[in-house]
Amino acid sequence: MNSSSGSAAGPSSGSGDESAPRRNSKRPKYSKFTQQELPACKPILTPKWVISVFTLVGVIFVPIGIAALMASNSVVEIVDRYDTECIPANMIADKVAYIQNDTINKICTRNLTVPKDMDQPIYVYYQLDNFYQNHRRYVKSRNDAQLKDADKANKTSGCDPEKTTKDGSPIVPCGLIAWSLFNDTYNFTLGNQNLSVNKNGISWKSDRDHKFGKDVYPKNFQNGTLRGGANLDPNKSLNEQENLIVWMRTAALPTFRKLYGKIHQDLKANDTIMVTLENNYNTYSFNGKKKLVLSTSSWLGGKNDFLGIAYVTIGGLCFFLATAFTVVYLVKPRKLGDPSYLSWNRNPLGH
Amino acid sequence: MNGMGWERVRMARLGGEAAVVGTRRREVADLRQVPSQTVRLGRVQPQHPSHRTIYCNDSDANFLARFKSNSISTTKYNVLTFLPKGLFEQFRRVANLYFLMISILSTTPISPVSPVTNVVPLSLVLLVSLIKEAFEDWKRLQNDNSINNTAVDVLQGQNWESMPWRKLQVGDIVRVKQDDFFPADLLFLASTNPDGVCYIETANLDGETNLKIRKALEKTWDYLAPEIADKFKGEIQCEQPNNSLYTFTGNLIIERQTLPLSPNQILLRGCSLRNTEYIVGAVIFTGHETKVMMNSMSVPSKRSTLERKLDKLILALFGGLFMMCLIGAIGSGVFINRKYYFLGLFDDVEGQFNPNNRFVVTILTMFTLITLYSTIIPISLYVSIEMIKFIQCAQFIDKDLHMYHAESNTPALARTSNLNEELGQVEYIFSDKTGTLTRNLMEFFKCSIGGEAYGTGITEIEKEQAQRSGKKLSEEARSDTTVHEKGFNFDDARLMHGAWRNEHDPEICKEFFRCLALCHTVLPEGDESPEKITYQAASPDEAALVTAAKNFGFFFYRRTPTTVMVRESHVETMGIKQDVSYEILNVLEFNSTRKRQSIVCRYPNGRLVLYCKGADTVIYERLSNASNDIRKVTREHLEQFGSAGLRTLCLAYRELTNDLYEKWNEKFIQAKSSLRDREKKLDEVAEIIEKDLILVGCTAIEDKLQDGVPACIETLARAGIKIWVLTGDKMETAINIAYACNLINNDMKQFIISSETDSIQEAEEKGDPVEIARVTKDTVKNHLKQCLEEAHGHLHGSGQKLALVIDGKCLMHALDPNLRVNLLNLSLNCSSVICCRVSPLQKAQVTSLVKKGAHRITLSIGDGANDVSMIQAAHVGVGISGLEGMQAVMASDFAIAQFRFLTDLLLVHGRWSYIRLCKVITYFFYKNLTFTLTQFWFTFQTGFSGQRFYDDWFQSLYNVIFTALPVIIVGLFDKDVSASLSKKYPELYREGIRNMFFKWRVVAVWAFFAVYQSLIFYYFTTTASQNGHNSSGMIFGLWDVSTMAFTCAVVTVNLRLLMVCNSLTRWHLLSVSGSILAWFIFIFIYSGIMTQNDRQENVYFTIYVLMSTFYFYLTLLLIPVVALLSDFFYLGIQRWFFPHNYQIVQEIHRGEYEGVGSREFLEIGNNLTPDEARSYAILQLPREKSRHTGFAFDSPGYESFFASQQGVFAPIMAWDVARRASVRSKRTSQR
Repeated sequence: MNSSSGSAAGPSSGSGDESAPRRNSKRPKYSKFTQQELPACKPILTPKWVISVFTLVGVIFVPIGIAALMASNSVVEIVDRYDTECIPANMIADKVAYIQNDTINKICTRNLTVPKDMDQPIYVYYQLDNFYQNHRRYVKSRNDAQLKDADKANKTSGCDPEKTTKDGSPIVPCGLIAWSLFNDTYNFTLGNQNLSVNKNGISWKSDRDHKFGKDVYPKNFQNGTLRGGANLDPNKSLNEQENLIVWMRTAALPTFRKLYGKIHQDLKANDTIMVTLENNYNTYSFNGKKKLVLSTSSWLGGKNDFLGIAYVTIGGLCFFLATAFTVVYLVKPRKLGDPSYLSWNRNPLGH
Repeated sequence: MNGMGWERVRMARLGGEAAVVGTRRREVADLRQVPSQTVRLGRVQPQHPSHRTIYCNDSDANFLARFKSNSISTTKYNVLTFLPKGLFEQFRRVANLYFLMISILSTTPISPVSPVTNVVPLSLVLLVSLIKEAFEDWKRLQNDNSINNTAVDVLQGQNWESMPWRKLQVGDIVRVKQDDFFPADLLFLASTNPDGVCYIETANLDGETNLKIRKALEKTWDYLAPEIADKFKGEIQCEQPNNSLYTFTGNLIIERQTLPLSPNQILLRGCSLRNTEYIVGAVIFTGHETKVMMNSMSVPSKRSTLERKLDKLILALFGGLFMMCLIGAIGSGVFINRKYYFLGLFDDVEGQFNPNNRFVVTILTMFTLITLYSTIIPISLYVSIEMIKFIQCAQFIDKDLHMYHAESNTPALARTSNLNEELGQVEYIFSDKTGTLTRNLMEFFKCSIGGEAYGTGITEIEKEQAQRSGKKLSEEARSDTTVHEKGFNFDDARLMHGAWRNEHDPEICKEFFRCLALCHTVLPEGDESPEKITYQAASPDEAALVTAAKNFGFFFYRRTPTTVMVRESHVETMGIKQDVSYEILNVLEFNSTRKRQSIVCRYPNGRLVLYCKGADTVIYERLSNASNDIRKVTREHLEQFGSAGLRTLCLAYRELTNDLYEKWNEKFIQAKSSLRDREKKLDEVAEIIEKDLILVGCTAIEDKLQDGVPACIETLARAGIKIWVLTGDKMETAINIAYACNLINNDMKQFIISSETDSIQEAEEKGDPVEIARVTKDTVKNHLKQCLEEAHGHLHGSGQKLALVIDGKCLMHALDPNLRVNLLNLSLNCSSVICCRVSPLQKAQVTSLVKKGAHRITLSIGDGANDVSMIQAAHVGVGISGLEGMQAVMASDFAIAQFRFLTDLLLVHGRWSYIRLCKVITYFFYKNLTFTLTQFWFTFQTGFSGQRFYDDWFQSLYNVIFTALPVIIVGLFDKDVSASLSKKYPELYREGIRNMFFKWRVVAVWAFFAVYQSLIFYYFTTTASQNGHNSSGMIFGLWDVSTMAFTCAVVTVNLRLLMVCNSLTRWHLLSVSGSILAWFIFIFIYSGIMTQNDRQENVYFTIYVLMSTFYFYLTLLLIPVVALLSDFFYLGIQRWFFPHNYQIVQEIHRGEYEGVGSREFLEIGNNLTPDEARSYAILQLPREKSRHTGFAFDSPGYESFFASQQGVFAPIMAWDVARRASVRSKRTSQR
């Protein structure tokens, strides 16, 4: 035994690198990360915090809500549903036949009374109801490449079923969206004076400039056996046909408004506007409503009380909750960090 | 203990005849009568039907056999297989497979979303997983390379040439130098040490650091120098490669002699050579055929309970998905109608929109919606959880300085990262006693010799006992004779310094001391003086006994293979020292079945004595009838010692006559050389001679409690964890340890179910095993019933705490399927349970009884090989990396150095992990549900067409970019209360046991808010967008509204995360603001560009359009506030009126500075030398779990009986390798 250890001592001492300074310990290195001692703030949701947060939200929300409501209230809006009115009494039983019959004159006259003074610009909207512009089959039925680029007229993928004409030449703009373009028209007269409707600048600039090409012209549009909606001027490039551009920014909900044009003239209260409209668009098939909307605008946009009401309600609710919590706090305060609240103190058996 | 080498019995069978030659002492004639010798003409065939024949030093001959090369590869993949195999592995996960199917589905026209929606998150998830796999595999490859390229000297011609390991061939002769690793499994031929031995360290195999000895066959001792080694032309016939580390059968045929080979000549790859200048060996098994590599099987991985519950949640989500799809699909079938002419539903419309066949529409829309709502399944959840857990393990648990044990230089180690959160829900801890609760630092404390008890010390447990009974023990002044060294804490003037000569029977004292000095397998090291010598022993018990002998004047100082040298003082006359050399003829090893150890030795004067020491039960069975009087007294002493918490061993001897011995030795040699069932045969032969023993006395060794155990147990008990002690010790010892550890106190009602009742003992005396079993079973049955009734009485009446003590024999019957329920009922009502004298298998059975019977989360902790089965059976296995080797650690999921670190592991890491993962999972659930539900609400207003609300890229990046990082940060950093408070208020842990944070109720609350918030997102944005939105009266389209809604969702969902946090580090804020910012940066770029490919320019410019309106800002302020207000309200109410415990604790300690003891953690650099790096690399090799059974003198052996009843095979492996030590001091001095 000893001899072996003696003989072993010799060669092993030869390895000199053993003496190099190094750490032999497996002690983990200290760092705040590994010891989980990173500096942290530890917010505790104390009653004071709860009350102050509710109060703060209330303080911020109520004024915003009131401002929004005022903005919304300052907007004057005339809404007129005309699809039921602009139908001859004899055709009421079969509205679809009426609307699909091209031979019948669709002109219809409506008189609208201005409730309050309306400052220009006055926006003219049409509102459709039960029209599923957000239906999957509808939304995808377009081809953005074709709309943008004259060279890509043949790109009609996704445009089913309005891709090509019967002889196979591509339709520009293809797809169901363009095909079903809204085609009611409105003319406004105030007394004897004709109110001109400006149909420029009704679409978002980004759409106009980037999505619809300057040199793309409608081709083979509405040439099929079934006409969906409005026709387009084949001599006007797509980016000038703003009604199409507006229409093609598909709406999120089945009830939607789209901008028809702008009237650059102030209207006075009790003025009567006569609207001469062509009731061409078929909403009778699917029991959709058609409405004409004249509206002014505020900094917030059109008439929509929702934001204002929401803000005021939430703000009010917060005030209410803050008060309620304060009352509870005053009546039956909970001592912070009361050990008697600990479950094992409440129930010594620990069950 | 040691192998056959020590007996100097070498047997060889000459070809053609059963002539045995080669024994120096015994003559050939003695062995000629051996009847069972297989004799064949020609070569002796190895007994395995298939065997390999290796021609040493003859590569041409071996070439035909086409043995595998020695290069190893532990990588899972190579360059070619990485993608297919790695992807295959990934798609075995249901979530990934689901997304693969969805991705495929989304390439069809049925899908409303482009493939990108599902492909991008899937590929990102796969990418992360694959990078992780690749990284791990790369590390494995480097590890392999470093091993494969290690140099070794190989005999080429007559020279040693250095060669990389990988070029090694079977049959090569290699030279391995000191401290090098063996490159393959070698046949040990020659060593620079005299008598052909070498010392190896097997730490890489089983983690045992003590050295083991190997001995070459005498025939081959000379092949040391290259010139001579070159002449070695042996032929090895041996078993085929297998994974049994401790067996080897084969023959070496050399010069027409057939020599049997045993594991003693085999040097396994992975071990390293110590204390030997160099050895020469022949390669037998190479590369993947080496035993260590054959053992590298993957450990079955455990899954945490939380994850299994998560699966249920995912299933529920699938259910929800199905319902949503069904509703949508039926809606679409009802909706579709030709009246919507603008949809172009003409004659030849495709199936999905064909009003003529609404059924097809419904079915197809179902698929459409599945792809649309696929985000409800949180695809990145599993990857995120994996990352979180991995970092928790590698960075937090492994590096926690609170769990670093400086004395043993051991940090905690998380061996799996699957079970972190399981640690936070443990309700039952099953603990081993020795080495776990106690230190396993054995000290010789008392003894009884010839019926006289010696030793005046008082154990801690006795003090504790005395305190309980109100007695006061005066600490006796220690006499001057007190010697206190490591392993010896004994004080009795009657024995010290030769005083024993004046005792009434000095002869029996002599036998006692000689038995201590001779009957062991300890190796001395260092100077041969009593002060400087140190003993290297397999177990601290042994070292303590030898140390005791030394202090009594029988100083064991040298061991050669054949002799033991003892310097005996005061034997003849007082004051005289003489060196006596005892010839050790046989060693009958210890193993857990035998529970005893014997040696046969020859005195210089020719006297032949068998010395035996072992557990009282086995020794008493084998005593001669003569020594009845001592027997009784000693039995009393044994009980006394036991009740003082001491570990006892009985010592006995037997005089042998030459004839008797020689006859027996023949049988022994025969058993020793048998190739089959060697261990069993050896046990049988040992049985023949170990009888008619004369009892000398018994020893008592104190096993001290580990630091902080009682405090830790008390803390754990307050945490609602119930601790069961499962030990092989005697009942008295166990009860006393339990008292000492605060597990039992006098206020508790104790139920003791013991097999030592009169009726059972009566039956035992009759000796009919069937009768014994019947009586025991009946007793146990009645007892259990009685206890159960009483327990119910106590629980409903006094509310007294209960404790159960049961012994192994009773447990065996109580675990019977009929009685199991009773046992479980009783034990679950007890706050502590002590099972004593249980076998390893029973430990595992008790564990799984609670695990499966009561469905509670169990944790097993132990340090020895006998705890392995229990560790594997429990939900969480914790190994103590202590003194008894590494077997337990290798089988465990977590390894800690001290029992007391359980507090940190469970109360801090476990609790945090649990709370964090609950938050992560519920949050994932919430954010995906919220997001998907907005889609769902939109479906109702699109005519159930399955139109997507969001852009493809929004949807695909939602999970992987915009909401990915913050939740991981929360999973890592969230802390409800600090570590010290977690330990100060252990009761907080109970919330985990009751699974407070991942109940269905919690999920339902989250689901409620998900529904609420999604409604807010959808209806607020759409309702508010109905009109003209700036002063130019222009109108928003679908994509403007959806971008708005998505912005609100991203902001809200990220802010919601901040509300679940208990502590906010800057990483929280950075990641949350970063995620929101990432969305804005993304949308600014994404909507600002036009691309050439077939992207419908839906979202072109939307964000700029939106941001030009007040609507955007007002909505962005309104919606998150409204959405979060209800959560805030809920949290406020919850905290105010129904506070969680941790919230109270937070409040108690609010504003307190969390002490950061950075100064105590000063660091030194950690550099590895090349040698260490290599050793580390080898350490990283897959390894097997050692099956060495270790020392557990008291563990009863009926495991095999029970195993056969259960149909379980419980292998009992007696590793015959002597654990030898050596110049450890020198090795450490090298460092």
